[in-house]
Amino acid sequence: MPQLTMTDMYKAYGATVALKSGQIALHPGELHVIMGANGSGKSTLCKILAGSVKPDGGRIELNGKEITISGPKAARDLGVSIFYQELSLSKNRSVAENILARDLPCRAGFVDRKAVLARAEKVFAPFRDVAGDDFDLKTRVGDLRPDQRQLVEIAKTFAGGARIFIFDEPTSALDRAQTEAFFRELDRRKAEGASIVFISHRMEEVFEIGDRVTVIRDGETVSSAPLAETTRDRIVAEMVGGETGASVFADPPAAPVPGPEKLRVQGLTSRRLRDVSFTLHAGEVLGLGGLHGQGQSDLLRALFGLEPLDGTLTLDGAPITLPSPRRAIRQGFGYISGDRQSDGAISGRSIFENVVPIHLFKTRAFFVNHATLSAEVDRVLAILATRHGGRMAPISSLSGGNQQKVIISRWLMDETGVLLLDDPTKGIDLATKLELFALIRSLADKGMAILLYSSEDAELLANSDRILVFNNGAVVQELQGNDRTRTQLTRAAFEAA
Amino acid sequence: MTLPSLLRKMPPFMPVLIILICMFALNGLAEPNSLSPYALKGLISTYLALMFLSVGQTIVIFAADIDLSVGAILGLVNVTLVSMMQVLGGEPAGIFAAMAIALAVGAGCGLLNGILVVVLRLQAIVATFGTSVLFLGLALWIMPVAGTPAPRLFWRTFGGRIAGIPFAYFVLAGLLVLIVLLSRSRFVPRLLTVGDDQLAAYQTGLPVQSIRVRGYVACGIFAALAGFCITGDTASGDPNVGGLITLNSVAAAVLGGAALSGGVGTLFGSVLGSLVIGLVGSLVFFLGTPSEWQNLVQGLTVLAALMVGILFGGKARA
Repeated sequence: MPQLTMTDMYKAYGATVALKSGQIALHPGELHVIMGANGSGKSTLCKILAGSVKPDGGRIELNGKEITISGPKAARDLGVSIFYQELSLSKNRSVAENILARDLPCRAGFVDRKAVLARAEKVFAPFRDVAGDDFDLKTRVGDLRPDQRQLVEIAKTFAGGARIFIFDEPTSALDRAQTEAFFRELDRRKAEGASIVFISHRMEEVFEIGDRVTVIRDGETVSSAPLAETTRDRIVAEMVGGETGASVFADPPAAPVPGPEKLRVQGLTSRRLRDVSFTLHAGEVLGLGGLHGQGQSDLLRALFGLEPLDGTLTLDGAPITLPSPRRAIRQGFGYISGDRQSDGAISGRSIFENVVPIHLFKTRAFFVNHATLSAEVDRVLAILATRHGGRMAPISSLSGGNQQKVIISRWLMDETGVLLLDDPTKGIDLATKLELFALIRSLADKGMAILLYSSEDAELLANSDRILVFNNGAVVQELQGNDRTRTQLTRAAFEAA
Repeated sequence: MTLPSLLRKMPPFMPVLIILICMFALNGLAEPNSLSPYALKGLISTYLALMFLSVGQTIVIFAADIDLSVGAILGLVNVTLVSMMQVLGGEPAGIFAAMAIALAVGAGCGLLNGILVVVLRLQAIVATFGTSVLFLGLALWIMPVAGTPAPRLFWRTFGGRIAGIPFAYFVLAGLLVLIVLLSRSRFVPRLLTVGDDQLAAYQTGLPVQSIRVRGYVACGIFAALAGFCITGDTASGDPNVGGLITLNSVAAAVLGGAALSGGVGTLFGSVLGSLVIGLVGSLVFFLGTPSEWQNLVQGLTVLAALMVGILFGGKARA
């Protein structure tokens, strides 16, 4: 009998349906892998179980009894424990306090410090040998290396008497020995009768430790089978689905005649990126693919001077450095984020004021001629066919797609050589999306070099001349020509670096 | 051991302890009598209220909140206590009953702040500034004119001695015991975890809202205890007694090593921070600064002390 079942789970954010019909049955002593492409709803399903997302419909049964999960605390009280990527540690507390944060051992109302250390020691024991010599349970978590932090988060997930564990990409920062220690602990917990849910971006790992695999596509559970009875190819096929042509987006564009080399990146390494190298030509749209958060946004932000980086960058044949966004803008880089509210729109101000700042920064002029400037603004807004009620209307009066057009206009007032697009169509309706991509293509045709990250594989495939596939901060594969298919993209996304 | 690792290992109140020792030394140089037992007793009993208040302030700061109404709560408690003692009589039974009522008033004020900030999600700075005006209004309604005297027994006890030891020292010892108990309880680590990263604490399964509300209630209780001290010190009721003390409590907490962004600090550090602020005041006085310059010099000295503390603390955490 399954320990926990979730049936017909449904969750929508506004008009976007994140999960249409999620099903899963967890059996004690089993490691259950959930596989799915970007936006398939696998994380939503896990978050519902962990209590951090409230479902709009569906039925959850624990040991045959229907339950509701009102929040993370309720989930923990029901015996569900989830691993968050770095998200749940408090950096100013010690390792021991973090591991036991939910339930610090007490004696007579006071925290029993000896018991805290002893119990944390016991929970952390399986990872002690692989955590490094400098590791100490009294260290502040903020002073740890990323891999040590991840081990602490894992230990924290195991602490306390949970019976169901959820791990969402738990091994991204771990080395081989650490990963093995973690897998051994998973086996031990399985032997004790725990159910484990596992999301991974490494196909190898899945076949190494999984017992059963559930594939989710477009918010629906497609299949659930023992891993011994399936193959890699079948899983990839199920993740992609049969109807590749059903997308409103066209087939991949014919590769253009590459222009002169614009940007060359060699051995780029940052907090999140590992040894990324590529060249970008003028007139080209280079797509960045793979599962969410594998370093695509980090690359774009690093190239805009928002994150420190190591490695060599060559622009038009000359070496450059990008210590700050100011420098990046002067070098001819433009950055457009899908998070318009935090990284793009100057909210509450007019369209005019939202278009001119980059131009004013680049010209260094002290006085501006309002009439010439207005004419310029109208010119770029017209290029993009922005629908607006006058340039003095507040930007918030526009739809998301038109706001994004205004933000793109900023970079068209003066020459921009390299345009960095960080999931630019997030939350934009389909018709406007198509317009935006037509516009992006026309910019490339005029000689702009464009790096495009999109969280939707269909968009990426339909608009990229080449695609770099990322996994855990590294480029694992480059897709060109006829290789630009959903199947190839999904297969590459789960390829280990 | 290298300097950075030494700085990291030291308790967070080390910088303020060093500043405090320097301030004592400067005071001693300017006026040797300022280190006499009599002067020390005066210093302690004058600044006990600030110590209690800054400990309360630190509790909310731990959780990355702030309470700008502590001074007003102190004033409200002061007038409530004096009025109730007048109604109930100056006998021990009446005094204790009045103290219990005043303590409940403080806790109630804290609860109101907590509900506004945590449950109704108003900005902490704006909401507690708003309630401070409300509390001041209440205090003026209870006692429109300052000057109602406290019963003799009350202030005589506070200003007197037991077995030759000034009563203020017993209060200080009581405060320190309270701090030790609080720091050892589950309450303070949980507040710090919440202040460090609220989302992380929520996802860990901590009852974030209830922890923050309890922080505000504890702050109200400490403000009430501070109100008792100020009543003992001034021996009368005055609705405006809160005045500048709110911002001093924030300054004392920051001097003591607490970060306004939450998650860092010690309650003991805030006690030391309050003493530094007190000693700055007396140093300015002993240096014979002309009265029109006193505020300016005092302000500059507090700023300098804050900067020294941040330089040390910042290095330790870098």
